[in-house]
Amino acid sequence: MSILASCPSCGAALSFRPGTMVAVCSYCKALAARRDRDPELIGKVADLVDTGSPLGLGASGTYAGRAFTLAGRVQLKHPLGGTWDEWYLALDDGRWGWLAEAQGRFYLTFTQAPHGTLPPAEALHAGGLADLGPDGQWTVGEISDATFHSAEGEIPWAVEPGATYRFADLSGKNGAFATLDYSETPPLFFLGREIPLTDLHIQGGVRKPTRLGTQGLNCPKCGGALALHAPDQTLRVGCPNCGSLLSAEGGKLAFLKSLQQPHQAVVIALGAEGTLNGEKITCIGQLRRTCTLEGLPYPWTEYLLLDSQHGFKWLVEGDGHWSLAVAVPPGEVPQVDESQRNLWMHGHNWRRFQDVQATVEGVWGEFYWAVEQGERVLVSEFVAPPKSLTRERQAHRGGGEEVNWSLSTYLEPAEVWAAFQLPGTPPTPEGIGSFQPNPHKTALAKSALWIVGALGLLLILVMAESVTHKNVELFSKRLDLIELTPGLRKSPVDAGSKAIPARRPTAAAPDAPPPEPQEPVFFSGPIEIKDGHQNLAVTLSAPVDNNWVELEGALVSETSGVAELFLLESSYYSGVDGGEAWTEGGKTETVFLSAVPPGTYVLRLAPSWNGKFPPVDFIDVELRQGVMRWLYPGLALLAILLVPFIMIFPMAAFEGRRWQESMYAPKSSGGGD
Amino acid sequence: MRIVYLLFLGAGFSLLTANAFFGREFFGQRRRADLPPSVRQTPGAYRTFLHNNGFHGGK
Repeated sequence: MSILASCPSCGAALSFRPGTMVAVCSYCKALAARRDRDPELIGKVADLVDTGSPLGLGASGTYAGRAFTLAGRVQLKHPLGGTWDEWYLALDDGRWGWLAEAQGRFYLTFTQAPHGTLPPAEALHAGGLADLGPDGQWTVGEISDATFHSAEGEIPWAVEPGATYRFADLSGKNGAFATLDYSETPPLFFLGREIPLTDLHIQGGVRKPTRLGTQGLNCPKCGGALALHAPDQTLRVGCPNCGSLLSAEGGKLAFLKSLQQPHQAVVIALGAEGTLNGEKITCIGQLRRTCTLEGLPYPWTEYLLLDSQHGFKWLVEGDGHWSLAVAVPPGEVPQVDESQRNLWMHGHNWRRFQDVQATVEGVWGEFYWAVEQGERVLVSEFVAPPKSLTRERQAHRGGGEEVNWSLSTYLEPAEVWAAFQLPGTPPTPEGIGSFQPNPHKTALAKSALWIVGALGLLLILVMAESVTHKNVELFSKRLDLIELTPGLRKSPVDAGSKAIPARRPTAAAPDAPPPEPQEPVFFSGPIEIKDGHQNLAVTLSAPVDNNWVELEGALVSETSGVAELFLLESSYYSGVDGGEAWTEGGKTETVFLSAVPPGTYVLRLAPSWNGKFPPVDFIDVELRQGVMRWLYPGLALLAILLVPFIMIFPMAAFEGRRWQESMYAPKSSGGGD
Repeated sequence: MRIVYLLFLGAGFSLLTANAFFGREFFGQRRRADLPPSVRQTPGAYRTFLHNNGFHGGK
C-alpha cells in the first residue's frame, strides 16, 4: 500500500511504497527522502540522460510468477565515461529487484543477506577471485566507482545527489551475477543473473521510442556527415573526415579534441553491411591498436560490428589474419594467475601465447565506450586453434579496474571478403596466426574417420582369419641324411655293430676306392589336400652349428603335374669376435606357398650341404596348411598408419613456426597444440 | 593426399584379403612350374629340370 505525500519543493503528489527510501518529483525534479512525518528535500536531480533504454517508468511485468512494476530508476556515471541505468522492480510480494542495464544487457539482482563475511574492496582486483564463503567463489569483473547522476520515480535506497559509490561486479558460471555495494558498512550483497528482457514480460510504461536505424548527424568540428548506427549506445565518435574525437552522450555530438590519427589502412568501410555466419552485421567503428615487442611495433585493426540484435562483435585483422571476437562473461572463464601457462575450458587446453600492452592509436566511427587515443589495456592471449581467449585488463581513473574476456574464432580471409562482398581477392596472410588452424591437423582430423574405419575392418579380417586358419599338419618327417644319401648308407654289418658308431661312415679299405655319394632325394607318400583356399607352410629344422643344410623342395600335383617349388635353408653360425659373442642365421626356416587346388600331392625333398658328409644326422620337415600370417595384417596396418604418420611431420613443423612467435615458446620447437 | 591414402589402403587390404581368404602368398623363395610327365616319371630328372629352369640353391 503506497503512502501519498506532498513534494517538499512544489507540493505535487509523491508516492512512497513500502521500502521506498527516496522519491523524485516528476514535476520539479526534487529529491525527497522518506521521513517519519513529511518527506525531506535533499536536493534536485539533473535531467535524465537519454540512454536509449527500452524500459519506461510504470511498466509492469512478471518474474518467477510474481507481478512487478518498474517503480524507479537511477542513472549512474562510470569513471571511463558513459551512463547506465539501474531500474527498481517493486514486486507484489513487497520485495525490490535491481535491474541494471548496460550495453543492451540486463542483470537482475536482489538483496541477499550474506552467509559469510564479505571481502573488503581493497582485497579485490579485476579478474581475481572473490571468495564469498558459503555464497560461492566469483570472478571479479570490475571494481570501480559509480557516481549518482539522476533519478526518477521511487528509489529503494538512500541516494544522495553527486555521491560516489564503490562497487564490485562479480561474475559466475551460467550467467550468474552479483554485486558488492560498498556504499554501506558492512557492504551490501546483491545476487542474481543476467536475464533476457523477454523473460520479464514487460508491458507498458512511459518511455521514449527506441531510436532504431541510422541517425544522420554532422560533425560539430568539420560539419562532415556522420551516420550513427547505434545512437542509443554510442559514447564516442571518431570523425573519419577531420579526425576529431566527439562525445555522443545524450544523443548529441560534442567536440572533445582533435586526434593525430595514423593512416587509415582499413578494408571494411564504416557503414558497410554484410552477412557473417548467417547474421547481418554493420561495421560501425574502426580501431587501430598496436603493441611493441622487442622495440618493434605490431599493429592490428579492429572493426566494431553491430549485429541484428543490437549486440556488438569485433572483427580483428593483423598481418592478413582475421578473426571474429565476442565477449565472454568473466565468470565463465577459469581463474588465471600470472604464471599460469594453460587453462582448461570448454573441453580444450588453452595455451598462453602472449602478454602485451595494447595501445589505441586510431579511432574512426562510433564506439559504445569512451574510447581515447592512447588508451592502454593489458592483453593476455590463450590459444586453442582455431579459437583464442583474450583477457583485457584496464585500469580506471580513481583506482578502479575492469577485466573483459573475449572469445575469438579464426576466419579465412575469403570469408570476410565474401561477408562484405569486398572487391578483389584478400591479401595472403603473413606468417602463421597465433590461433590459425593447423591445415595439416585439419587434414589429419578429416582422415580420422577413415583411419578408425580401416582399423575396425582390419580387426574384423584378422579375427575372421584366426577362426578359419586351423594350422593343420599335412606332413611331418625326420629325414636321416646318412640313410638318404646313397653313397653313405650303412652296411648291414655296420648296422648290427654295437662297437662302432653307426652314424658315420667307416674308413674305406685301402685297396677299394670309396663310392661317390649320389644326390640325396626323398619322395613322400601321397598327401591329400582338401582346402584349395588356404596357404601352405613348409618348415625345415636342423641342429646345424657353424654349418648349413639347404633343402630344395617341390610339392607336385599327382594329377596335373603342377609343382610348387621352394628353397629352404638351415644355416647357423656363432663365435666370439673381439670378446663379443655373435650369432648369424637360424636353425629353422619356413617358406609359405600359395594355396593349391584340392587333390593328391607328393613332396619331393632334396637336401644339400657343403662337402661330402652331411653336417647333421637328420633334418625335420613339416608341411602345414592354413597358417596364420601376421605379415599381411602388418602391411595393412602400415598402409593405414603410414600416411597419417607422414602427415605428422608438416603438422609439427607448422606448430613449431606458430610457437616461434610466442612469448612462451617451448624450448624445443615443434610443440603440438 | 586422400587418393594416395586410398591407394595405400587398397593395396594393404588387397594383400591381406588375398592371403587370408584365397591363400595367396607374395613373398619368399618359391615358384610354380608345370612338370612334364617325363620329369615326374624320372626322379633324377627333377634336379636337371629345376636347374635348367633357373631354380636352384647351393651356397
